[in-house]
Amino acid sequence: MFHEGAGVAVPATIGTGRQAIFAPLDDGSGRSEAVVRRLASAIALGLIADGEQLPAEADLATSLGVATVTLREALSDLRRRGLVETRRGRGGGSFVRVSEHALSALSRRRVRELGSADLRELGEFHAAVAGTAARLAAERASGHEIDRLVATLDRFEQAPTTAARRRIEGRYYIEMAAAAQSVRLTRQEIDLQSELAELQLVPPQSAGWASSILGQHRAVVEAVGNRDGVLARRLTEDGIALRTLGMIEVHLSLTTGAGDTLDHDSAASRITTRGVLDDAPRT
Amino acid sequence: MPPGRDDPASYAATAESIVERVFGAVHELRDQVLASRSAATVRRERLQSRHIAELRPGLIRLLAQHRDIVVGMGMIVAPGLLPTERRHLEWWQYLPGREQPSALQVDLNPDSLGFYDYDTAEWFSVPRSTGRRHIVGPYVDALGTDRYLLTFTAPVLADGVFLGVVGADVPVSRFERKLLGAWRLCGESEARAGDVRTDVLIINSQGRVVVSNCASALSGDLVGGGASPTPGVRVDLTDLPWHLQISTRGE
Repeated sequence: MFHEGAGVAVPATIGTGRQAIFAPLDDGSGRSEAVVRRLASAIALGLIADGEQLPAEADLATSLGVATVTLREALSDLRRRGLVETRRGRGGGSFVRVSEHALSALSRRRVRELGSADLRELGEFHAAVAGTAARLAAERASGHEIDRLVATLDRFEQAPTTAARRRIEGRYYIEMAAAAQSVRLTRQEIDLQSELAELQLVPPQSAGWASSILGQHRAVVEAVGNRDGVLARRLTEDGIALRTLGMIEVHLSLTTGAGDTLDHDSAASRITTRGVLDDAPRT
Repeated sequence: MPPGRDDPASYAATAESIVERVFGAVHELRDQVLASRSAATVRRERLQSRHIAELRPGLIRLLAQHRDIVVGMGMIVAPGLLPTERRHLEWWQYLPGREQPSALQVDLNPDSLGFYDYDTAEWFSVPRSTGRRHIVGPYVDALGTDRYLLTFTAPVLADGVFLGVVGADVPVSRFERKLLGAWRLCGESEARAGDVRTDVLIINSQGRVVVSNCASALSGDLVGGGASPTPGVRVDLTDLPWHLQISTRGE
């Protein structure tokens, strides 16, 4: 879907367990940046937990299909960002450290390097899938499935971190597509959530932002319960459009006046964002 | 004798015979698990991952035997039962374009977006709480097989201890083909009898259509939660969470 420097095979696939994290990167680039994106996605999705040990360098390079030198470069980047910690000696190796700050910095970098048209199209495609799923769910969701959606949103409300909230929200969309009784929409939603994982920590979600998103999702589930498919679809589409707009605003604020370089992360945190980003990290 | 429209019982019998065949395979697998567990007990061993892995040859044989209807089979172990892994699935399935079945890989990390939360899945929780067999679906098995399925499960109980569930996946489309193939005989006899159509639906306990021979209500549609009066004859299927609804049009 993305045109720039992005093989679709980079994100880790949801739902297939650990082996998918370390599947070959077949975007052909073999760049260390692709390895960083894959591992950061897997951490953001919760596929790799805090403190988990990564396979030995040689094994990891082989399974990802990259040269050892490329992998080392990627690990050193991840170390610098605080997402990986390397211990020497017996019982040593590379261990994952979940740092929301580092994930969010990577998200900003990704949002900056994609074009605004890429972001808009991704949002529109997600709205098409999730909107149709909500409409069909209003016709077809059983009482049991509606209860499950409500329970998922209750967990969203209680999630301790932004990343945890994002994962539960991803599940909400997948459950909605399953409630629509559509295998194709469910598969599309799973693919979309894999792809969105590396962008989702932008814009950062303040308490107010999170509760407004929760309100939108609750309104959708209520419409599904009332068998109002037209409303369920419209609310879903509007919610995603608003999120996409927020992401595009971040993109524009990060790129405008920053020259054409993509290399210095400091630019990302220096720029004061506007609008919905009421708690963007500032330095 | 083919089922006829005057004979709701034979529509039911056709459905029951397919269902019982699938449960027959599920119960055979359960007996294999129980045998493996007793053998372990005799050796004074606790049930371990390797005992579950020993089920594979028998499981794959059963799967091959019922390949015309069953797409996947296996055991889902009660969380906390095995000493080494909190959750475990020994589930094998045929994938499109592959001759041999492969093991299903799912994400069992509870904090992950893609967590396959089987503890709360109806096909697991119902047999665990009732101690009885169950059929779930039609449903989308999201984050698992990603198929549209009927899942047939039975609890595995040894000396009152719940070891998990065994089960079989039947694709909704395959169940439909099997059943409509048998029911078509009745449509043919009716064509000779004149312009009479018999609409036959199997409906689950949530009011969802399992199989139907009329386009106005297809598999997966909701047709009122069972409380709303629907026209036609209702026939409950024996020991199943399903009923038949039969109505005739055009007379």
